[in-house]
Amino acid sequence: MSTSTVTPEIAAFARGVRAALADLPPDEVEELTEGLEADLAEAYAEDLQRELPDAAAYATELRAAAGLPMRTQVVKRGVLAGLAQGWRDTQKDLVIAVRRNPTLAAAMEFVVSLSPVWWVIRAWLATWLVAAFFGSEQGYGVQGGFWWLVLLGFTIVSVQWGRGLWHFSGLPGLILIGNVVAIVALLPVLAASDGWGGSSEAGYAEAPFDESSGISLAGTEVTNIFAYDAQGKPLSNIQLFDQDGRPMMPVSGSDTMCGDDMCDRRLAVVGTKLETGVEAFNVFPLSLVPVTDGTETGETAPVAGATATPPKAPFLKVPAVLVPEKVAKSNQ
Amino acid sequence: MDATQLLKGVLDVAVLAVVEDEDGYGYDVVRRLRAAGLEEVGDASVYGTLRRLYTAGALTSYVVPSEEGPHRKYYGINAQGRATLDLQRKVWNEFSTTMTNLLEAS
Repeated sequence: MSTSTVTPEIAAFARGVRAALADLPPDEVEELTEGLEADLAEAYAEDLQRELPDAAAYATELRAAAGLPMRTQVVKRGVLAGLAQGWRDTQKDLVIAVRRNPTLAAAMEFVVSLSPVWWVIRAWLATWLVAAFFGSEQGYGVQGGFWWLVLLGFTIVSVQWGRGLWHFSGLPGLILIGNVVAIVALLPVLAASDGWGGSSEAGYAEAPFDESSGISLAGTEVTNIFAYDAQGKPLSNIQLFDQDGRPMMPVSGSDTMCGDDMCDRRLAVVGTKLETGVEAFNVFPLSLVPVTDGTETGETAPVAGATATPPKAPFLKVPAVLVPEKVAKSNQ
Repeated sequence: MDATQLLKGVLDVAVLAVVEDEDGYGYDVVRRLRAAGLEEVGDASVYGTLRRLYTAGALTSYVVPSEEGPHRKYYGINAQGRATLDLQRKVWNEFSTTMTNLLEAS
Protein backbone atom coordinates (compact mmCIF):
# COMPACT_ATOMS: atom_id res chain seq x y z
CA MET A 1 0.00 0.00 0.00
CA SER A 2 1.42 3.30 -1.04
CA THR A 3 0.80 6.39 0.97
CA SER A 4 -0.32 9.42 -0.88
CA THR A 5 -1.24 12.93 -0.01
CA VAL A 6 -4.63 14.42 -0.57
CA THR A 7 -4.37 17.37 -2.92
CA PRO A 8 -6.79 20.33 -2.65
CA GLU A 9 -8.40 19.18 -5.90
CA ILE A 10 -9.14 15.77 -4.41
CA ALA A 11 -10.52 17.35 -1.23
CA ALA A 12 -12.77 19.63 -3.30
CA PHE A 13 -13.87 16.71 -5.46
CA ALA A 14 -14.76 14.63 -2.37
CA ARG A 15 -16.77 17.56 -1.03
CA GLY A 16 -18.62 17.75 -4.34
CA VAL A 17 -19.42 14.04 -4.19
CA ARG A 18 -20.72 14.33 -0.62
CA ALA A 19 -22.81 17.37 -1.58
CA ALA A 20 -24.36 15.38 -4.43
CA LEU A 21 -25.29 12.68 -1.90
CA ALA A 22 -26.64 15.19 0.63
CA ASP A 23 -30.22 13.96 0.23
CA LEU A 24 -29.20 10.64 1.84
CA PRO A 25 -28.96 10.19 5.61
CA PRO A 26 -25.62 11.56 6.93
CA ASP A 27 -24.61 8.11 8.26
CA GLU A 28 -25.09 6.63 4.83
CA VAL A 29 -23.02 9.35 3.17
CA GLU A 30 -20.29 8.83 5.74
CA GLU A 31 -20.23 5.07 5.19
CA LEU A 32 -20.31 5.45 1.44
CA THR A 33 -17.51 7.99 1.18
CA GLU A 34 -15.26 6.91 4.02
CA GLY A 35 -11.84 6.35 2.52
CA LEU A 36 -12.79 8.19 -0.66
CA GLU A 37 -9.91 10.69 -0.33
CA ALA A 38 -7.40 7.89 0.29
CA ASP A 39 -8.62 5.90 -2.70
CA LEU A 40 -8.58 8.95 -4.96
CA ALA A 41 -5.18 10.07 -3.78
CA GLU A 42 -3.78 6.64 -4.50
CA ALA A 43 -5.39 6.45 -7.90
CA TYR A 44 -3.95 9.88 -8.68
CA ALA A 45 -0.52 9.02 -7.48
CA GLU A 46 -0.53 5.92 -9.65
CA ASP A 47 -1.62 7.67 -12.80
CA LEU A 48 -0.67 11.32 -12.99
CA GLN A 49 -2.46 11.72 -16.33
CA ARG A 50 -5.68 10.83 -14.63
CA GLU A 51 -8.37 13.50 -14.55
CA LEU A 52 -10.97 13.82 -11.85
CA PRO A 53 -14.42 13.06 -13.22
CA ASP A 54 -17.54 15.14 -12.64
CA ALA A 55 -18.38 14.89 -8.94
CA ALA A 56 -22.13 14.62 -9.54
CA ALA A 57 -21.74 11.87 -12.14
CA TYR A 58 -19.32 10.06 -9.83
CA ALA A 59 -21.85 10.31 -6.98
CA THR A 60 -24.59 8.96 -9.25
CA GLU A 61 -22.44 5.95 -10.18
CA LEU A 62 -21.58 5.38 -6.52
CA ARG A 63 -25.22 5.60 -5.54
CA ALA A 64 -26.38 3.24 -8.30
CA ALA A 65 -23.76 0.64 -7.45
CA ALA A 66 -24.60 0.88 -3.76
CA GLY A 67 -28.27 0.27 -4.57
CA LEU A 68 -29.34 3.58 -3.09
CA PRO A 69 -32.26 5.61 -4.45
CA MET A 70 -31.44 8.04 -7.23
CA ARG A 71 -31.77 11.70 -6.64
CA THR A 72 -34.31 12.32 -9.38
CA GLN A 73 -32.92 15.68 -10.34
CA VAL A 74 -30.08 17.85 -9.24
CA VAL A 75 -31.53 20.91 -7.54
CA LYS A 76 -32.31 23.51 -10.18
CA ARG A 77 -33.22 27.14 -9.99
CA GLY A 78 -36.72 28.19 -10.86
CA VAL A 79 -40.09 28.00 -9.21
CA LEU A 80 -41.36 25.16 -11.38
CA ALA A 81 -38.33 22.96 -10.82
CA GLY A 82 -38.37 23.82 -7.11
CA LEU A 83 -42.01 22.85 -6.81
CA ALA A 84 -41.41 19.63 -8.69
CA GLN A 85 -38.41 18.82 -6.51
CA GLY A 86 -40.41 19.48 -3.35
CA TRP A 87 -43.21 17.29 -4.66
CA ARG A 88 -40.81 14.45 -5.46
CA ASP A 89 -39.14 14.71 -2.06
CA THR A 90 -42.52 14.56 -0.35
CA GLN A 91 -43.48 11.61 -2.53
CA LYS A 92 -40.25 9.84 -1.66
CA ASP A 93 -40.82 10.36 2.08
CA LEU A 94 -44.40 9.19 1.74
CA VAL A 95 -43.41 6.10 -0.21
CA ILE A 96 -40.87 5.15 2.46
CA ALA A 97 -43.45 5.67 5.22
CA VAL A 98 -46.05 3.66 3.32
CA ARG A 99 -43.70 0.77 2.59
CA ARG A 100 -43.18 0.21 6.30
CA ASN A 101 -46.87 -0.54 6.72
CA PRO A 102 -47.98 -3.72 4.87
CA THR A 103 -51.66 -2.72 4.64
CA LEU A 104 -50.82 0.74 3.35
CA ALA A 105 -48.28 -0.75 0.98
CA ALA A 106 -50.90 -3.08 -0.50
CA ALA A 107 -53.39 -0.21 -0.80
CA MET A 108 -50.73 1.95 -2.38
CA GLU A 109 -49.91 -0.73 -4.89
CA PHE A 110 -53.57 -0.88 -5.84
CA VAL A 111 -53.81 2.89 -6.20
CA VAL A 112 -50.64 3.02 -8.28
CA SER A 113 -52.04 0.38 -10.61
CA LEU A 114 -54.94 2.75 -11.24
CA SER A 115 -52.71 5.56 -12.47
CA PRO A 116 -53.46 4.88 -16.18
CA VAL A 117 -57.09 5.70 -15.38
CA TRP A 118 -55.94 9.04 -14.02
CA TRP A 119 -53.95 9.71 -17.20
CA VAL A 120 -57.15 9.37 -19.22
CA ILE A 121 -59.23 11.39 -16.75
CA ARG A 122 -56.82 14.31 -16.80
CA ALA A 123 -56.84 14.29 -20.61
CA TRP A 124 -60.63 14.39 -20.53
CA LEU A 125 -60.53 17.27 -18.03
CA ALA A 126 -58.03 19.18 -20.14
CA THR A 127 -60.26 18.75 -23.19
CA TRP A 128 -63.27 19.92 -21.20
CA LEU A 129 -61.47 22.98 -19.90
CA VAL A 130 -60.18 23.92 -23.35
CA ALA A 131 -63.66 23.41 -24.82
CA ALA A 132 -65.19 25.57 -22.09
CA PHE A 133 -62.49 28.19 -22.65
CA PHE A 134 -63.39 28.42 -26.33
CA GLY A 135 -67.00 28.97 -25.39
CA SER A 136 -68.47 25.61 -26.22
CA GLU A 137 -71.84 26.05 -24.49
CA GLN A 138 -72.11 22.45 -23.38
CA GLY A 139 -68.57 22.51 -22.15
CA TYR A 140 -67.30 19.19 -23.37
CA GLY A 141 -70.34 17.41 -24.70
CA VAL A 142 -70.76 14.35 -26.80
CA GLN A 143 -71.40 16.63 -29.78
CA GLY A 144 -68.65 17.65 -32.10
CA GLY A 145 -66.21 15.15 -33.52
CA PHE A 146 -63.56 17.84 -33.23
CA TRP A 147 -63.47 17.61 -29.44
CA TRP A 148 -63.20 13.84 -29.65
CA LEU A 149 -60.09 14.34 -31.75
CA VAL A 150 -58.71 16.80 -29.19
CA LEU A 151 -59.48 14.29 -26.43
CA LEU A 152 -57.67 11.59 -28.36
CA GLY A 153 -54.62 13.83 -28.79
CA PHE A 154 -54.58 14.85 -25.12
CA THR A 155 -54.99 11.23 -24.04
CA ILE A 156 -52.01 10.11 -26.10
CA VAL A 157 -49.82 12.90 -24.70
CA SER A 158 -51.07 12.32 -21.14
CA VAL A 159 -50.42 8.58 -21.28
CA GLN A 160 -46.99 9.06 -22.83
CA TRP A 161 -46.09 11.52 -20.06
CA GLY A 162 -47.46 9.11 -17.51
CA ARG A 163 -45.24 6.38 -18.92
CA GLY A 164 -42.26 8.70 -18.62
CA LEU A 165 -41.97 9.31 -22.37
CA TRP A 166 -41.92 12.55 -24.35
CA HIS A 167 -40.40 14.43 -21.45
CA PHE A 168 -38.63 17.74 -21.85
CA SER A 169 -36.93 20.12 -19.46
CA GLY A 170 -39.36 21.73 -17.06
CA LEU A 171 -42.11 19.22 -17.82
CA PRO A 172 -42.25 17.66 -14.33
CA GLY A 173 -43.22 21.05 -12.87
CA LEU A 174 -45.83 21.53 -15.58
CA ILE A 175 -47.27 18.08 -14.95
CA LEU A 176 -47.44 18.82 -11.24
CA ILE A 177 -49.35 22.08 -11.82
CA GLY A 178 -51.54 20.37 -14.41
CA ASN A 179 -52.40 17.59 -11.98
CA VAL A 180 -53.31 20.10 -9.26
CA VAL A 181 -55.50 22.07 -11.72
CA ALA A 182 -57.11 18.84 -12.90
CA ILE A 183 -57.89 17.72 -9.34
CA VAL A 184 -59.35 21.13 -8.49
CA ALA A 185 -61.39 21.19 -11.72
CA LEU A 186 -62.63 17.62 -11.38
CA LEU A 187 -65.65 18.26 -9.14
CA PRO A 188 -67.06 21.37 -10.87
CA VAL A 189 -66.58 19.78 -14.27
CA LEU A 190 -68.28 16.57 -13.23
CA ALA A 191 -71.16 18.59 -11.74
CA ALA A 192 -71.49 20.78 -14.82
CA SER A 193 -71.45 17.88 -17.23
CA ASP A 194 -73.89 15.85 -15.17
CA GLY A 195 -77.09 16.65 -17.01
CA TRP A 196 -77.47 20.19 -15.75
CA GLY A 197 -76.38 21.44 -19.14
CA GLY A 198 -74.71 24.73 -19.76
CA SER A 199 -72.09 26.11 -17.49
CA SER A 200 -71.94 25.39 -13.80
CA GLU A 201 -73.25 28.90 -13.03
CA ALA A 202 -76.42 28.28 -15.00
CA GLY A 203 -76.84 25.02 -13.13
CA TYR A 204 -76.61 26.75 -9.79
CA ALA A 205 -79.03 29.52 -10.82
CA GLU A 206 -81.67 27.10 -12.02
CA ALA A 207 -81.41 24.42 -9.44
CA PRO A 208 -83.35 26.04 -6.55
CA PHE A 209 -86.41 26.71 -8.70
CA ASP A 210 -88.98 24.16 -9.58
CA GLU A 211 -89.83 24.21 -13.26
CA SER A 212 -93.53 24.02 -12.48
CA SER A 213 -93.44 27.41 -10.80
CA GLY A 214 -94.74 29.44 -13.65
CA ILE A 215 -93.58 33.03 -13.34
CA SER A 216 -90.87 34.61 -11.29
CA LEU A 217 -89.58 38.12 -10.96
CA ALA A 218 -86.04 38.73 -9.75
CA GLY A 219 -86.00 35.28 -8.21
CA THR A 220 -89.28 35.72 -6.32
CA GLU A 221 -92.33 33.73 -7.29
CA VAL A 222 -95.18 35.68 -8.84
CA THR A 223 -98.48 34.41 -7.41
CA ASN A 224 -100.90 36.97 -8.83
CA ILE A 225 -101.00 39.77 -11.37
CA PHE A 226 -102.83 43.08 -11.06
CA ALA A 227 -103.60 45.05 -14.20
CA TYR A 228 -104.49 48.74 -14.41
CA ASP A 229 -105.97 50.55 -17.38
CA ALA A 230 -104.64 53.67 -19.08
CA GLN A 231 -106.32 55.84 -16.48
CA GLY A 232 -104.65 53.88 -13.68
CA LYS A 233 -107.80 52.13 -12.48
CA PRO A 234 -107.63 48.46 -11.47
CA LEU A 235 -108.96 45.95 -14.01
CA SER A 236 -110.45 42.57 -13.37
CA ASN A 237 -110.86 39.40 -15.46
CA ILE A 238 -107.82 40.13 -17.62
CA GLN A 239 -106.68 37.10 -19.65
CA LEU A 240 -102.95 36.97 -20.19
CA PHE A 241 -100.97 34.97 -22.77
CA ASP A 242 -97.29 34.89 -23.52
CA GLN A 243 -95.64 35.51 -26.91
CA ASP A 244 -96.39 31.94 -27.99
CA GLY A 245 -100.05 32.09 -27.01
CA ARG A 246 -99.59 30.01 -23.89
CA PRO A 247 -101.85 31.07 -21.00
CA MET A 248 -99.77 32.74 -18.31
CA MET A 249 -100.37 30.78 -15.15
CA PRO A 250 -98.26 31.75 -12.17
CA VAL A 251 -99.80 28.94 -10.16
CA SER A 252 -102.02 25.97 -10.82
CA GLY A 253 -105.22 24.99 -9.08
CA SER A 254 -103.48 22.51 -6.81
CA ASP A 255 -101.03 25.09 -5.45
CA THR A 256 -101.65 26.69 -2.12
CA MET A 257 -99.96 29.68 -0.65
CA CYS A 258 -99.59 31.32 2.70
CA GLY A 259 -102.52 33.43 3.78
CA ASP A 260 -100.52 35.37 6.36
CA ASP A 261 -96.96 35.90 7.50
CA MET A 262 -96.94 32.90 9.83
CA CYS A 263 -98.52 30.67 7.21
CA ASP A 264 -101.29 29.62 9.63
CA ARG A 265 -103.90 30.11 6.94
CA ARG A 266 -103.53 28.55 3.53
CA LEU A 267 -105.12 29.91 0.38
CA ALA A 268 -105.86 28.14 -2.89
CA VAL A 269 -106.31 29.69 -6.29
CA VAL A 270 -109.74 29.53 -7.82
CA GLY A 271 -110.03 29.21 -11.58
CA THR A 272 -112.38 31.25 -13.69
CA LYS A 273 -114.88 29.57 -15.99
CA LEU A 274 -114.60 30.51 -19.67
CA GLU A 275 -117.48 30.38 -22.15
CA THR A 276 -116.08 27.07 -23.39
CA GLY A 277 -116.64 25.63 -19.95
CA VAL A 278 -112.92 25.33 -19.29
CA GLU A 279 -111.64 26.53 -15.95
CA ALA A 280 -108.79 28.98 -16.66
CA PHE A 281 -106.03 30.08 -14.33
CA ASN A 282 -104.76 32.90 -16.51
CA VAL A 283 -107.57 35.29 -15.60
CA PHE A 284 -106.29 38.03 -13.33
CA PRO A 285 -106.36 38.95 -10.58
CA LEU A 286 -106.74 35.34 -9.48
CA SER A 287 -109.33 34.80 -6.76
CA LEU A 288 -108.29 32.97 -3.64
CA VAL A 289 -110.18 30.79 -1.22
CA PRO A 290 -109.07 29.72 2.27
CA VAL A 291 -108.35 25.99 2.45
CA THR A 292 -107.69 23.47 5.17
CA ASP A 293 -104.08 22.72 5.95
CA GLY A 294 -103.10 19.74 3.85
CA THR A 295 -99.61 19.19 5.20
CA GLU A 296 -100.67 16.12 7.17
CA THR A 297 -103.45 14.65 5.07
CA GLY A 298 -101.82 15.53 1.77
CA GLU A 299 -105.12 16.92 0.47
CA THR A 300 -106.61 20.35 0.78
CA ALA A 301 -110.26 21.35 0.62
CA PRO A 302 -111.90 24.74 0.75
CA VAL A 303 -112.85 25.75 4.26
CA ALA A 304 -116.56 25.21 4.73
CA GLY A 305 -118.59 28.30 3.99
CA ALA A 306 -115.64 30.25 2.60
CA THR A 307 -116.07 32.17 -0.64
CA ALA A 308 -113.50 32.91 -3.30
CA THR A 309 -112.46 36.53 -3.23
CA PRO A 310 -109.97 38.45 -5.33
CA PRO A 311 -107.04 39.44 -3.16
CA LYS A 312 -106.45 43.02 -2.24
CA ALA A 313 -104.71 44.89 -5.05
CA PRO A 314 -101.36 46.44 -4.14
CA PHE A 315 -102.54 49.84 -5.36
CA LEU A 316 -106.02 51.29 -5.48
CA LYS A 317 -104.96 53.41 -8.41
CA VAL A 318 -101.74 53.91 -10.32
CA PRO A 319 -100.65 56.95 -12.30
CA ALA A 320 -102.46 57.32 -15.62
CA VAL A 321 -100.59 56.82 -18.86
CA LEU A 322 -99.82 59.84 -20.96
CA VAL A 323 -101.36 58.77 -24.28
CA PRO A 324 -100.97 60.86 -27.45
CA GLU A 325 -104.47 62.03 -28.38
CA LYS A 326 -104.71 60.32 -31.78
CA VAL A 327 -103.83 56.93 -30.37
CA ALA A 328 -106.17 57.44 -27.47
CA LYS A 329 -109.03 58.18 -29.86
CA SER A 330 -108.34 55.17 -32.04
CA ASN A 331 -108.39 53.02 -28.92
CA GLN A 332 -111.90 54.19 -28.15
CA MET B 1 -22.61 -5.72 -27.27
CA ASP B 2 -20.90 -3.58 -24.69
CA ALA B 3 -18.65 -5.23 -22.13
CA THR B 4 -19.53 -2.55 -19.54
CA GLN B 5 -23.18 -3.65 -19.76
CA LEU B 6 -22.20 -7.27 -19.13
CA LEU B 7 -19.97 -6.18 -16.28
CA LYS B 8 -22.89 -4.64 -14.41
CA GLY B 9 -24.47 -8.04 -14.01
CA VAL B 10 -21.33 -9.75 -12.72
CA LEU B 11 -19.62 -7.01 -10.71
CA ASP B 12 -20.92 -8.39 -7.42
CA VAL B 13 -19.42 -11.82 -7.96
CA ALA B 14 -16.19 -10.32 -9.35
CA VAL B 15 -15.77 -8.13 -6.26
CA LEU B 16 -16.53 -11.05 -3.94
CA ALA B 17 -13.98 -13.20 -5.75
CA VAL B 18 -11.28 -10.53 -5.43
CA VAL B 19 -11.95 -9.94 -1.73
CA GLU B 20 -12.08 -13.68 -1.06
CA ASP B 21 -8.35 -13.93 -1.79
CA GLU B 22 -7.38 -11.13 0.51
CA ASP B 23 -9.02 -8.23 2.35
CA GLY B 24 -8.85 -5.02 0.37
CA TYR B 25 -9.68 -1.33 0.45
CA GLY B 26 -11.60 0.48 -2.31
CA TYR B 27 -8.91 1.38 -4.80
CA ASP B 28 -7.01 -1.83 -4.08
CA VAL B 29 -10.06 -3.82 -5.21
CA VAL B 30 -10.34 -1.66 -8.33
CA ARG B 31 -6.68 -2.29 -9.15
CA ARG B 32 -7.01 -6.02 -8.71
CA LEU B 33 -10.11 -6.16 -10.92
CA ARG B 34 -8.30 -4.21 -13.62
CA ALA B 35 -5.25 -6.41 -13.30
CA ALA B 36 -7.53 -9.40 -13.81
CA GLY B 37 -8.65 -7.95 -17.13
CA LEU B 38 -11.74 -5.94 -16.21
CA GLU B 39 -10.14 -2.71 -17.36
CA GLU B 40 -13.38 -0.84 -17.96
CA VAL B 41 -14.49 -1.10 -14.35
CA GLY B 42 -15.35 2.28 -12.78
CA ASP B 43 -14.01 3.31 -9.36
CA ALA B 44 -17.34 4.54 -8.07
CA SER B 45 -19.12 1.37 -9.23
CA VAL B 46 -16.67 -0.76 -7.25
CA TYR B 47 -16.91 1.42 -4.11
CA GLY B 48 -20.70 1.38 -4.31
CA THR B 49 -20.74 -2.38 -4.82
CA LEU B 50 -18.47 -2.92 -1.81
CA ARG B 51 -20.80 -0.80 0.28
CA ARG B 52 -23.88 -2.66 -0.96
CA LEU B 53 -22.35 -6.09 -0.34
CA TYR B 54 -21.41 -4.90 3.16
CA THR B 55 -24.97 -3.70 3.83
CA ALA B 56 -26.29 -7.02 2.52
CA GLY B 57 -24.12 -8.81 5.08
CA ALA B 58 -21.71 -10.48 2.63
CA LEU B 59 -18.66 -8.47 3.71
CA THR B 60 -17.06 -7.25 6.91
CA SER B 61 -15.47 -3.85 7.12
CA TYR B 62 -12.82 -2.14 9.25
CA VAL B 63 -10.99 1.15 9.13
CA VAL B 64 -7.20 1.28 9.18
CA PRO B 65 -5.93 4.65 10.42
CA SER B 66 -2.95 6.14 8.70
CA GLU B 67 -0.52 8.51 10.28
CA GLU B 68 0.52 10.16 7.07
CA GLY B 69 -2.68 10.35 5.08
CA PRO B 70 -6.42 9.73 5.30
CA HIS B 71 -7.47 6.39 6.73
CA ARG B 72 -8.49 3.47 4.60
CA LYS B 73 -11.57 1.34 4.78
CA TYR B 74 -10.90 -2.36 4.30
CA TYR B 75 -13.42 -4.99 3.30
CA GLY B 76 -13.16 -8.73 3.92
CA ILE B 77 -15.43 -11.64 3.02
CA ASN B 78 -17.44 -13.47 5.69
CA ALA B 79 -19.32 -16.77 5.77
CA GLN B 80 -22.40 -15.35 4.11
CA GLY B 81 -20.24 -13.74 1.42
CA ARG B 82 -18.54 -17.06 0.74
CA ALA B 83 -21.90 -18.84 0.45
CA THR B 84 -23.10 -16.16 -1.95
CA LEU B 85 -19.92 -16.45 -3.97
CA ASP B 86 -20.21 -20.26 -4.21
CA LEU B 87 -23.78 -20.00 -5.40
CA GLN B 88 -22.96 -17.30 -7.94
CA ARG B 89 -20.01 -19.32 -9.22
CA LYS B 90 -22.37 -22.19 -10.03
CA VAL B 91 -24.86 -19.84 -11.66
CA TRP B 92 -22.10 -18.23 -13.71
CA ASN B 93 -20.66 -21.58 -14.80
CA GLU B 94 -24.02 -22.83 -15.98
CA PHE B 95 -24.85 -19.55 -17.68
CA SER B 96 -21.51 -19.19 -19.41
CA THR B 97 -21.62 -22.81 -20.58
CA THR B 98 -25.10 -22.27 -21.96
CA MET B 99 -24.06 -19.08 -23.73
CA THR B 100 -20.86 -20.62 -25.10
CA ASN B 101 -22.75 -23.61 -26.45
CA LEU B 102 -25.38 -21.38 -27.94
CA LEU B 103 -22.92 -19.06 -29.62
CA GLU B 104 -20.70 -21.85 -30.92
CA ALA B 105 -23.59 -23.88 -32.24
CA SER B 106 -24.94 -21.08 -34.40
